[in-house]
Amino acid sequence: MKLKEIDRTAMQAWSPAQQHPIYLATGTSAQQLDATFSTSASLEIFELDLSDPSLDMKSCATFSSSHRYHKLIWGPHSMNSGERVSGVLIAGGENGNVILYDPAKVIAGDAEVVIAQKDKHTGPVRALDVNMFQTNLVASGANESEIYIWDLNNFATPMTPGVKTQPLEDISCIAWNRQVQHILASASPSGRTTVWDLRKNEPIIKVSDHNNRMHCSGLAWHPDVATQMVLASEDDRLPVIQMWDLRFASSPLRVLENHTRGILAIAWSMADSELLLSCGKDAKILCSNPNTGEVLYELPTNTQWCFDIQWCPRNPAVLSAASFDGRISIYSIMGGSTDGLRQKQVDQLSSSFGNLDPFGTGQSLPPLQLPQQTAPQSIVLPLKKPPKWIRRPVGASFSFGGKLVTFENAKSQQQPGIEQQQQQRHHVYVSQVVTEEEFLARSNQLQEAVQSEGFVSYCQRKIDMAQADFEKNVWAFLKVNFEEDSRVKYLELLGYRKDDVRKKVNMPGSCACVKCFTDGYVDGLITQTLLTGNFESAVDLCLHDNRMADAIILAIAGGQELLSRTQEKYFAKMQSKITRLITAVVTKNWKEIVQSCDLQNWREALAAVLTYARPDEFAALCDLLGNRLESEGDSLLQTQACLCYICAGNVEKLVACWTKARDGNSPFHRSCWLS
Amino acid sequence: LPPQVSVINTVDTSHEDMIHDAQMDYYGTRLATCSSDRSVKIFDVRNGGQILIADLRGHEGPVWQVAWAHPMYGNILASCSYDRKVIVWKEENGTWEKTYEYTGHDSSVNSVCWAPHDYGLILACGSSDGAISLLSYTGDGQWEVKKISNAHTIGCNAVSWAPAVVPGSLIEQPSGQKPNYIKRFASGGCDNLVKIWKEEDGQWKEEQKLEAHSDWVRDVAWAPSIGLPTSTIASCSQDGRVFIWTCDDASGNSWSPKLLHKFNDVVWHVSWSITANILAVSGGDNKVTLWKESVDGLWACISDVNKGQGGVSAITEGQQNEQ
Repeated sequence: MKLKEIDRTAMQAWSPAQQHPIYLATGTSAQQLDATFSTSASLEIFELDLSDPSLDMKSCATFSSSHRYHKLIWGPHSMNSGERVSGVLIAGGENGNVILYDPAKVIAGDAEVVIAQKDKHTGPVRALDVNMFQTNLVASGANESEIYIWDLNNFATPMTPGVKTQPLEDISCIAWNRQVQHILASASPSGRTTVWDLRKNEPIIKVSDHNNRMHCSGLAWHPDVATQMVLASEDDRLPVIQMWDLRFASSPLRVLENHTRGILAIAWSMADSELLLSCGKDAKILCSNPNTGEVLYELPTNTQWCFDIQWCPRNPAVLSAASFDGRISIYSIMGGSTDGLRQKQVDQLSSSFGNLDPFGTGQSLPPLQLPQQTAPQSIVLPLKKPPKWIRRPVGASFSFGGKLVTFENAKSQQQPGIEQQQQQRHHVYVSQVVTEEEFLARSNQLQEAVQSEGFVSYCQRKIDMAQADFEKNVWAFLKVNFEEDSRVKYLELLGYRKDDVRKKVNMPGSCACVKCFTDGYVDGLITQTLLTGNFESAVDLCLHDNRMADAIILAIAGGQELLSRTQEKYFAKMQSKITRLITAVVTKNWKEIVQSCDLQNWREALAAVLTYARPDEFAALCDLLGNRLESEGDSLLQTQACLCYICAGNVEKLVACWTKARDGNSPFHRSCWLS
Repeated sequence: LPPQVSVINTVDTSHEDMIHDAQMDYYGTRLATCSSDRSVKIFDVRNGGQILIADLRGHEGPVWQVAWAHPMYGNILASCSYDRKVIVWKEENGTWEKTYEYTGHDSSVNSVCWAPHDYGLILACGSSDGAISLLSYTGDGQWEVKKISNAHTIGCNAVSWAPAVVPGSLIEQPSGQKPNYIKRFASGGCDNLVKIWKEEDGQWKEEQKLEAHSDWVRDVAWAPSIGLPTSTIASCSQDGRVFIWTCDDASGNSWSPKLLHKFNDVVWHVSWSITANILAVSGGDNKVTLWKESVDGLWACISDVNKGQGGVSAITEGQQNEQ
């Protein structure tokens, strides 16, 4: 999907991988003229800001240059040492000069941006490459088989890789090997490629396809295999990319015939060796797998030819393509929708204009009606196979119980070109991570306990093992949780045993002892009994301690039975004048009163009986009283007995009593009564 | 005491290509793995064994991640792949089947993560097309989709949910009504940013942008909650750095990064232990290291996991400084 666009007719170079943020440098191209036929030249640096979703690329700096360029490259030289924070821009000029610029200074807007320049070459410098191992070494190629190796630390005197190749030809491409630092390849338009060994200072092999005439427009070494390289042909009769292996240099190993017309430029991704970009005169930009020849992706472009294509070193999914219509486009091969971009532009516009006519007539704009077009699919499909940089090779995740799950993918020894069936084992490892061994043992025990439900024994073990009292207590409580009758056991743990307390209370002599100690002790004892729910003992204690009110109140709370017993005890203890009456009222024991009261108080007794006695016992009680009066009382009281008999409704006794009282009275009275 | 890391089970997955993820379920009894061979496999790994329960086919490209849903919803597994699809698999009557397939992304879906079970059954998916989708199960086999477009330009690599914490839950007792959760998750992308997203009135909004990395953020992991009001996020990147982000205030406004370590190679994955005190960092060439925060706030490597050998090499001070 297209990310950005710059309207420049220029040679381009991405900033090195170590550079952050990512820049794209452009230098006015010497080969092309734009529509204005302008001959001015400039070096410009743009910043790639991906958080900005618009298509515009921010221009950080422009340097007006006196040269136009045939080639531009950006090396990381001196970045690590800090001398040049953004590396070095190396440009090949039209007059045979190689110019070094300091991009940091360009960005900062300094006037002095040229580090050095040298007019060593005789013609336009079309080929440049930085050695990736020794970043101070730059190779340049120009006309007449001229190749120079420049040392950026000692720019004045370049070396040559060896004797010039005959016949003298233009050097169109030059490239350092990606695996071996002293190997350099140079290619001419005729298709003759020479491989140089800089240690020996001579060419070691010449590769050329004798069977075909090709116009070599691109040369690239295999990122992983030292002896392989590709050559691209611009010739429309042979629009191919040839893959060569130097060990077998008489004919190409593989030929990629995916373009229909000549190829203008190629770029091999350093991040994934299975991605080779190529752009051609068929206006296509293709991404193919050079190991298999398969086309993985076709970039959706307009109908322009691209003459230069570059991968971004830092962001492996990004590439830039410069086309003849004066535009440099930045793409991502990861697919995506362009709808978002389009919408964003519309939004931006409408936010500026609002809904009002910008010309101030105050009328709102009519809604935008886009013509119905059979627009090309706005969804761009990604690469057929995922690039190496998104295939995660390693990972680890934690799981329950301190387990760590890890996996690895052992690197296979690739020997491309030779079919190998390697049985790779793909393992996942489950490990136990223990920061303390003890902990592991404990967690195992816990797991066992949980599974077997042997909680009680587990807790018991814990109690035995516990060192601190607090721990002991905690485990003891936990254990009780699993036992039956837990509440009682909890109490016991707290130190309140029902039996003990009872014993304490019932201890003979404890009552006496109680008096010896201060009230505190009794309080404590009472508290203990209450906390264990032992109301009886508590009441006893209170009674012993003469806390009558407390005792009775507690007794009420302790239930009816306890209350009655307490009342008894209370009455036994208390001896006051009216105690007996109270007792009788509470216990409803009137018989007692009647039987034992003082006969002088017979009126009171009768009154009580009249008030309180139940209907069924009323008569008997009155009778009883009467009897007493008769038998025990004196003559006066005896006569009063009659009254009792009347109350009792006991006629016979009444008569007998009266007779006695009147003693020998006339039978007249008797008969009166009888009637 | 250096920690013991001992291999208790080696599962031979029989995958035919690179494995990209391996996750245990909630109880640690089952293991799900996914691979470039386009399959998702589920193993029963109780008691050190390995029994293949299911070999799920349905993806048309390498499968990048798998994620188990909370067991209260049943046995559910989500997988995401380069083929732009997200598939939710479910075990019904002992067999695993595809229960939902989401094809709304335009590019590789790189990461899936289930939300805390308190929110319901919600899956966040991050894709290379820069969008993040949120798939919510609404019942009866129906799923509702919410999409955050252009969450990260040129691609989202990871999503991770914040643990469910009711605001002020440590202090107030919810009175039986459904708690008002604030849903949040973190995402990391190819724009080198870590972003925090918050749901407001049913819409997802970008709450925070955390900038510290100089290259693609490969993974983000939000630490499980331990009941304290602090939030912690770990992020790792192509630039070899792992940052620990902490936010102290409950409103989630000020996040500060702490560099855990700068490795020499790309760091692919970070994962927190259940109790959130150990961080497993996977990077470069099959290197897995475990890190723990000491009482004075510094992170130290407590182990260098050598797989296959199952041994422990407790990293010495010297080695640590070299790194």
